Amino acid sequence: MRALIVEDEPLLIEDLEQCLLEEQFYVDSASRLQKATDLIAAEEYDLILLDLGLPDGDGTNLLKLVKKHHPDTAVIIITARGETEDKVRGLELGSDDYLAKPFPIAELRARIHAVLRRKFKINDNKVSGGPLSVNLDHMEVTIRDESIDVTETEYKMLRYLLLNKNKTITRIALAEHIWGNRIDDRFSLDFITSHMKNIRKKLSQAGADNLIETVYGVGYKLVPDETE
Amino acid sequence: MKLNNKILLSNVILTLVVFSFTSIGIYYLVNSTVYDELDNHLLQHKVDLIDQVQEDTSSLEMMNQLGTLGSYEWIEITKYDGSTPLNSNEFSTIDTLRNPAEELETNAYRQLTTTISVNDRYYTLKIYEEVAAWTHISRTILISILAGLAIWILLLYILNQLVLDRILTPFYNTVASLEKIADPSDLDESFPETTTYEINVLNRALNTMMQHIRSSFEDQKQFIQNASHELLTPLSIIRQKAEKILSIPELLDRSTIESVGQIQHTAVRLSRLSNALLLISRIENKQFELGERVDIPKVTEAVLEELDDFIRMKNLNITTSFAAPVVVKGNSELLHAAVYNIIQNAIKFSPEGATITISTRRDTEKPCFSVLDEGPGFPPEFIDAAFDRFKKPPPDAAGFNNNSPGLGLSIVQSICQMHHFDCRASNHPEKGAEVSIHF
Repeated sequence: MRALIVEDEPLLIEDLEQCLLEEQFYVDSASRLQKATDLIAAEEYDLILLDLGLPDGDGTNLLKLVKKHHPDTAVIIITARGETEDKVRGLELGSDDYLAKPFPIAELRARIHAVLRRKFKINDNKVSGGPLSVNLDHMEVTIRDESIDVTETEYKMLRYLLLNKNKTITRIALAEHIWGNRIDDRFSLDFITSHMKNIRKKLSQAGADNLIETVYGVGYKLVPDETE
Repeated sequence: MKLNNKILLSNVILTLVVFSFTSIGIYYLVNSTVYDELDNHLLQHKVDLIDQVQEDTSSLEMMNQLGTLGSYEWIEITKYDGSTPLNSNEFSTIDTLRNPAEELETNAYRQLTTTISVNDRYYTLKIYEEVAAWTHISRTILISILAGLAIWILLLYILNQLVLDRILTPFYNTVASLEKIADPSDLDESFPETTTYEINVLNRALNTMMQHIRSSFEDQKQFIQNASHELLTPLSIIRQKAEKILSIPELLDRSTIESVGQIQHTAVRLSRLSNALLLISRIENKQFELGERVDIPKVTEAVLEELDDFIRMKNLNITTSFAAPVVVKGNSELLHAAVYNIIQNAIKFSPEGATITISTRRDTEKPCFSVLDEGPGFPPEFIDAAFDRFKKPPPDAAGFNNNSPGLGLSIVQSICQMHHFDCRASNHPEKGAEVSIHF
């Protein structure tokens, strides 16, 4: 699949590019609106990450252009303008999702998965890692095909960790994923810790110990034993 | 008291004081004039009498018998008994009966006691004249003068009011526009030129000041907005780089991991802060539509749903009582944020298993939304500053987390001010804090 990154900050392009490469995309990038316009005229992309505030113009013009010529292309807006009207306008113009800077790469990965699944009507909506398998569309978690009972928050945490398996997910990123960025962080981090305790208990009861590692002082990492 | 009323009142009081002194003066003046006139009259009678007696000495007896000279006067002539000095005129006012057999009430008379000599014999002559008729005249004069004065005062009051109102109109216009200003950006037009020197000076000074205030206010708002905005991209880079380092923790030692974790955490906090400032400045810049109808109980339900995780983890009881339906006009997103911040605060400061009471009610016709927790309450020295930006309670206050930037309640306040609502914070007499919005 092909992806285009439209972003004027080279240091950010680096990380976005790496994330997309890991997700098996061929990646182009443009730091100017003009270059991006040229690129989409020549190429049909499956995914565009679009920063709205570009030095040579407003990214929404590019969005209109993409939606006109390539309606199948998925567009995720990434912008420092975290304002709701901008968000609503972006979604109205046909973008598929909207991420306000700064965001964790893990969140981008989860969003890309969701957008592509929706866009390309992928029916295989299960992701698995080792004995654990999570349905991406509804609350369904299984360990070696045995269903386990989880709360909504626990389901969201497991899904997020699994989509970003083998990557350290910070507790802040988890809290933001579940409750949005309005929640007071110091306050919500304790809750992440206690939810994680419950998840571990449930996984261990189902016979899947040590699936989630704690990265001390930082967060968690789901490390599936792929031999299972 | 308004300035024009004050001027009018002092005018009236001054006039009344002058009026009462004048009245007393006029009273005495009229009285003394009346008595002077009476005395002259009595003397005239005496002269007439002497003239007559000199023509015909025998008429004295007849005159005494007749007694009266006219309907208001009478005379008494007796032999001189030495009680009064010779050849003097003595005036006095007495109350007496002219005709004891016929009259019941005494009347006031002016009496002239004097002596006359007829054929070298001395007689005492008493001439009486009734005062009542003259008092009538003096009273009429007094009343008409007083009435004139009263009318004059009334006219003065009305005219003063008209004239003062006219003269003071530009001043009141200035005062009225000053009263309306809640925010320097509210006032678009400047204070006008007038024909009164002092008001012109005042208006010009106000215009210059408003101009300064407005431009520095605009600069400040613009600066906050730009700064918050421009900060987010570099913060984004810091955050992502830190996360990239953390994603492969195997290569690092524990202290490096912790430090990078702290860098990432701080970047997140900074971006929250920047977003909060951006939100406040956008509210103050009036960049939100206020026309939506917002059902507060519904918003509250939605917020409780969002925060359900925290409520359950802390075993909190939420008591809601929406006694009054509260539908207000405003921005749903902002009101949601306000309710969210208030309830989040209540959850944060509640001990495990406590109760949070959320209610809507009508306080003297104005609907009100209130959240009451059972936490430690606001420290007393902090309560007045609870809504101030960056204000934090002292570090030892129970349950307070000093890492929060202290913007939650000031966002609530900005939102309320923008909607012209009133938000209050208070401590419950027993325990806990109450934050309420009065619509």
